[in-house]
Amino acid sequence: MATIRSLLLLLLFLLITSVSSWKKDEFRNCNQTPFCKRARSRNPRSCSLIAADVAIHNGDLTAKLVPKNGEPIEKPLILKLSVYKDGILRVRVDEDPNLGPPKKRFEVPDVVLEEFESTKLWLSRVLDEVVDGDEGMSSVVYLSSGFEAVVRRDPFEVYVRRKGGHRVLSMNSNGLFDFEQLREKKEGEDWAESFRSHTDSRPYGPQSISFDVSFYGANFVYGIPEHATALALSPTRGPDVEFSEPYRLFNLDVFEYLHDSPFGIYGSIPLMLSHGKGSGTNGFFWLNAAEMQIDVLGKGWDAEAGIALPSSQERIDTLWMSEAGIVDAFFFLGPEPKDVVQQYTSVTGRPSMPQHFATAYHQCRWNYRDEEDVENVDSKFDEFDIPYDVLWLDIDHTNGKRYFTWDRALFPHPEEMQKKLADKGRHMVTIVDPHIKRDDDYYIHKEATNNGYYVKDSSGRDYDGWCWPGSSSYLDVLNPEIRSWWADKFSLQNYVGSTPSLYIWNDMNEPSVFNGPEVTMPRDAQHHGGVEHREVHNAYGYYFHMATADGLLKRGEGNDRPFVLSRAFFPGSQRFGAIWTGDNTAEWEHLRVSVPMVLTLGLTGITFSGADVGGFFGNPDTELLVRWYQLGAYYPFFRAHAHHDTKRREPWLFGDHNTELMRDAIRTRYILLPYFYTLFREANTTGVPVMRPLWMEFPADEATFKNDEAFMVGDSILVQGIYTAGAKHASVYLPGGQSWYDMKTGVVYKGGVAHKLGVSDDSIPAFQKAGTIIPRKDRFRRSSTQMVNDPYTLVIALDSSLEAEGELYVDDGKSFEFGQGAYIHRRFSFKNGQVTSTNIAAPSSGKTFSSNCIIDRIILLGLPSGSKSALVEPGSHKLNIESGPLNLHARSSSKALTIRQPNVRIADDWTIKIL
Amino acid sequence: MKPNLSFAVILVVFCSNSIFGSASTPRDFLGIPPQDLEYFKSDVIKCRDGSNKFAKAQLNDDFCDCADGTDEPGTPACPVGKFYCQNAGHVPLLLFSSRVNDGICDCCDGSDEYDSGVNCPNTCWEAGNVAREKLKKKIATFQEGVSKRKLEIEQAKQAITKDEAELSKLKKEEEILKEVVQQLKDHKEQIEKAEEKERLEKEREEKKKKESEEKINEEHKQSTEGHVDDHHETIGELDEHSHEQEIAEIKDELAVADTDDIAEHATDDHGTAKVEADISHDTEGSASPEHEGEQDKDVNTEGLSKEELGRLVASRWTGENTEQQPKEVSEAKEEKHEENPKVDDNSHDEDDSGYSSGMDEENHKYDEDEMDGDMDDDIDQNHVDSSTYDAPYSEDHDDFSDTISDSPSWLDKIQRTARNILQAVNVFRSPVDTSDAARVRKEYDESSAKLSKLRSRISSLTQKLKQDFGPEKEFYSFYDRCFEYKENKYTYKVCPFKQASQVEGHSTTRLGNWDKVEDSYKVMLFSNGDRCWNGPDRSLKVRLRCGLKNELADVDEPSRCEYVAVLSTPALCHEEKLKELQHKLDLLNSEQPRRHEEL
Repeated sequence: MATIRSLLLLLLFLLITSVSSWKKDEFRNCNQTPFCKRARSRNPRSCSLIAADVAIHNGDLTAKLVPKNGEPIEKPLILKLSVYKDGILRVRVDEDPNLGPPKKRFEVPDVVLEEFESTKLWLSRVLDEVVDGDEGMSSVVYLSSGFEAVVRRDPFEVYVRRKGGHRVLSMNSNGLFDFEQLREKKEGEDWAESFRSHTDSRPYGPQSISFDVSFYGANFVYGIPEHATALALSPTRGPDVEFSEPYRLFNLDVFEYLHDSPFGIYGSIPLMLSHGKGSGTNGFFWLNAAEMQIDVLGKGWDAEAGIALPSSQERIDTLWMSEAGIVDAFFFLGPEPKDVVQQYTSVTGRPSMPQHFATAYHQCRWNYRDEEDVENVDSKFDEFDIPYDVLWLDIDHTNGKRYFTWDRALFPHPEEMQKKLADKGRHMVTIVDPHIKRDDDYYIHKEATNNGYYVKDSSGRDYDGWCWPGSSSYLDVLNPEIRSWWADKFSLQNYVGSTPSLYIWNDMNEPSVFNGPEVTMPRDAQHHGGVEHREVHNAYGYYFHMATADGLLKRGEGNDRPFVLSRAFFPGSQRFGAIWTGDNTAEWEHLRVSVPMVLTLGLTGITFSGADVGGFFGNPDTELLVRWYQLGAYYPFFRAHAHHDTKRREPWLFGDHNTELMRDAIRTRYILLPYFYTLFREANTTGVPVMRPLWMEFPADEATFKNDEAFMVGDSILVQGIYTAGAKHASVYLPGGQSWYDMKTGVVYKGGVAHKLGVSDDSIPAFQKAGTIIPRKDRFRRSSTQMVNDPYTLVIALDSSLEAEGELYVDDGKSFEFGQGAYIHRRFSFKNGQVTSTNIAAPSSGKTFSSNCIIDRIILLGLPSGSKSALVEPGSHKLNIESGPLNLHARSSSKALTIRQPNVRIADDWTIKIL
Repeated sequence: MKPNLSFAVILVVFCSNSIFGSASTPRDFLGIPPQDLEYFKSDVIKCRDGSNKFAKAQLNDDFCDCADGTDEPGTPACPVGKFYCQNAGHVPLLLFSSRVNDGICDCCDGSDEYDSGVNCPNTCWEAGNVAREKLKKKIATFQEGVSKRKLEIEQAKQAITKDEAELSKLKKEEEILKEVVQQLKDHKEQIEKAEEKERLEKEREEKKKKESEEKINEEHKQSTEGHVDDHHETIGELDEHSHEQEIAEIKDELAVADTDDIAEHATDDHGTAKVEADISHDTEGSASPEHEGEQDKDVNTEGLSKEELGRLVASRWTGENTEQQPKEVSEAKEEKHEENPKVDDNSHDEDDSGYSSGMDEENHKYDEDEMDGDMDDDIDQNHVDSSTYDAPYSEDHDDFSDTISDSPSWLDKIQRTARNILQAVNVFRSPVDTSDAARVRKEYDESSAKLSKLRSRISSLTQKLKQDFGPEKEFYSFYDRCFEYKENKYTYKVCPFKQASQVEGHSTTRLGNWDKVEDSYKVMLFSNGDRCWNGPDRSLKVRLRCGLKNELADVDEPSRCEYVAVLSTPALCHEEKLKELQHKLDLLNSEQPRRHEEL
């Protein structure tokens, strides 16, 4: 009896705990997704299309794709191949609009930049040639120096090759291309699909597209966020692969997502990068907003088909499947990792320049309850001398989840509250979600209803779903008119209680619909222009994010950079603001996976990203929380957040010692703000992310290709996370041929070796690469705002030839005047025994920015001892070189050679000669 | 922001100072507390942490040489430094270095912003006055509070003496009464034995009569059923009864767990058919227990309306309940679910403090037996408007007062009556006199009721006197009191040494049982309250502060289900603290003349 009782109790306990786990069965797997199941079961070489009528039209290569054998059952498809600057190849396949398809298939608007379109190279001629072993012809066009694009006609295939013949990237080499054309419903045919209690009417029937893409010479493929998985994507099919779902791209609000799963979560970017030791880096991007599933095919996956491959080169095959839309694909040729990111962001846009304050530390919690709570948290930061820049308010600050309103019982004086923060140079962020409470007395709902601004259900009525406010409707942000109307809601007049120091957070914009299929909107819901939700789903959050950022832009009359954090994302989201990895969990595994997740976002253009420090769900152990702060300080977006069921976890609540550790972690970020901001500017001009995988900086070092527990911040700092409790040691691989300096101690370590290092609780391992110069600001303030005029420190880490180089970018931190040249951009270099500051700013186009900031400390790492003094020019001041603190912490005793008070201005040219 | 121009000017001055003027004097002794000035007198000064030393010229030269900030008390150069502002007219202040020249006025004398271009007016006089007034008020409160506290302590001591006296008296009475009751009991039992004997005899006679009749009528059936005699029958019934009980227990458990193949063990009883059906439904296609849980939930979602589904999914994040009548349902469920963890908790307590579990049990008894009903009435009808009231537990006291006030007489009376009865009733008389028997029973019932009442009073007094009422028993009066605070729809009730709860309409949520005092009697802790969905057991931390009335205020829930409140009470008005405050005021006042000199 007793054993039965205890067994029952155990089971009961399991039942209780399982209530709060991932609801796997509420989400479709590939087998429950007809287009995915069909595409996955197709055999190689099943595509029978050939390219016919190859011609040049409007500067593009065009062709018709028709079935090879017999009478064409289906209408021919139109292939269009365009070439852009930097050798970017764009391949489009759609139905022929002249043959009267039942409906125009959806092409995603407002993602590809107009500037990019204008870089199209007008093709004027095509060379026909017979490629070795082929029966038919292939058409060849010039791509860029050394590269050509080839359209093989029979069987149809598109690929890029080097002039010598080596392939780089290809499409349909395995003959898996399939394009379901829209057609009239036949008698008795039932197109509807059901999943759980939901039925998708599918009025236009099957319309999916799938094809294979091959990356030649690649060791690994990366990208296609958002998944909680490793950085290097594991194969999902193949002889050595256990059964796995494909990587799913479908924006979903997944309650308590797992830390290792290919299932789709909040955002989607169909950009895959490949990297190989010999081949360099390439990219493939499919602009398509419908549900997508992607298989990474392990070696030998096609062995059963037993068909000779058209190329004997080593490669990674992938299978891409989408429910709807068209083929609009981009091939990026690299060859360096940074080149691919640059090429991709030339198509979808560079990351916008963030507000300076937004690069500092953010304090969030669901929910800071009322004004008193806000005031208390704010004052505690001051009491403990911990800097922070932004305080966040989650959904409960509103009146019944009606966005743009305040719960006046809790927040009777929102303007005053924001002003109090602003007086200390701090900002506030409030949440604004896309679901609108269906309440006739709510002005947003009234206007949206009257104007017909909501997404419609399949029967044409305003779609009525369920979210925080209860019964809700969703704005049809695909429509530019609605976006413009929405943007106006953010003006200081319209958003009552807002002030200029208030910025915005977009959550739930996947969109999350609590009673919808897979917690989102039904696929047969209808958008502006006859577009079905299935076609636009993954871009819904993107348009909402866009409209919100536009709102802040309008509010500031174009002079104030928007700050909008969004959970859902799509290619191009980097132009509108920051992204975070959603509702993670306070577990070590989630800390661990945050690194590949943020790295992957950076690789796919979204550099301003981070994970909730501490983990959203659950209560972190103190040690985990501290480690998360220490790692999170290096996330490009650094915010602590917590679920309302969790215990309070502001940094001062865990005893003096832990307060000190978390304060140190946060201060680490503040010290490095000049460096971070310089990196954000680099991202803004090139797309190269702030936080980078090691292989991006060391593309030839194979040991880095799979490493996703360490990462680079810019090109100078390597950070190794600590992901286990009670760690006493860490193995850290320091790549490359140069040495590395421990940033805490100044101790030098050899590169190209894995070091076993002792670890203490006061920091995680971080190293400065020899040959770099990092600008710091060593003074702490309440917030980054008060640091503007504080002096800089330069940390010069010399390489083996006693050289080093670094940059500093400074502007006003908030306006767009940097666009007209109002900024300072310097290069610092150490060579031949002297430090030089030179201007690398582009010639100004009308505006200037000035700063009287000085550099009052130069720390020299790796300088042979014996140097006693330095000479500053201009002015010929002689200064002593002496031993000074490496870090200005009371607890840090490390010393380094220091040039004391050179007091040279950051805006000026100068040299300092070591004597 | 900050005007760059003025900064530039300062910078130039500063630069020329530091670059050309290594021989020039440092920026005076800015930011150094007067008592520390001596430390900075020498030409070479050591960093306090011993890490370095610096020339006097490097003192306050806006460059951090000591990681501990020794060399930059007057500038923001060192991250861990402290800046001293004199604030003549008010109290001096030590600021974090991060506040110096950051454009925000922190010192009321404005001395922290000497170099930021921000002009901070000197507000020390006004601020000092405000502070002095505030302090004076506080002192006044403390002065009155201290005497109230003394009175309180005096009363508490008397009351405790009284309680102790009462307790020892009650114990004596208990002894006597116990004896009386025992005698009555013996007497009663003897009577009952006699009665029983009479009954059995009568029965036997009747049976004999019956048997002889039966013998004649049903002779042939004897061979098969004859062995079932009276004795056996009783045993059989008993057996069946216990068997049924066992089955019922099994069923209960199954109903709770609602899943498991172990349940098959119990299936040979007709009553488990329904349970069996449930099990087979649940276990279908489930691989692991966790999976079962999911399925269970999933199955539910399939049948839901759109709105129910929306609410259900939302509840995963919010932890709110989806049903129409959320509170009751969820709490009922929670209680069921938590049987397991709670058992653990209790055993923990036992380990910690030996007596606590026994105490809990006793408390419980009061609650159930006598208190519950009274308590609700008491609060709802009589004390709606008052924030403090005598706890229902004192009801006990009132109830007993009549019995106790004239205790000798009532005890005598009982003794006398009992003696009379014992003498009057002859147990051995046969047949038993029914009126005598009734008298004995009534008297026994009455006196044993009195005894149990007496005992419950003894145990409640013992319980009370066991509590830690503070070093001077200043919290004695809290024992029989509850404090209330109303906020929006909630009423919070805090009964020190007992429990705390939150009342909304007719539903009461326990915020915690009495746990302990902390922080040298400045905090009262209530823990192990009702469990939160997806969260911890509720708990309440009550901070005590000096006030003239016992008053609960500022109930707050900084983390989900972790409540805090403030209780002002004269008990916290300590004389030493009063002296401290007076000293502080003296200091503040002594600043005044200096201020006048400046003027």
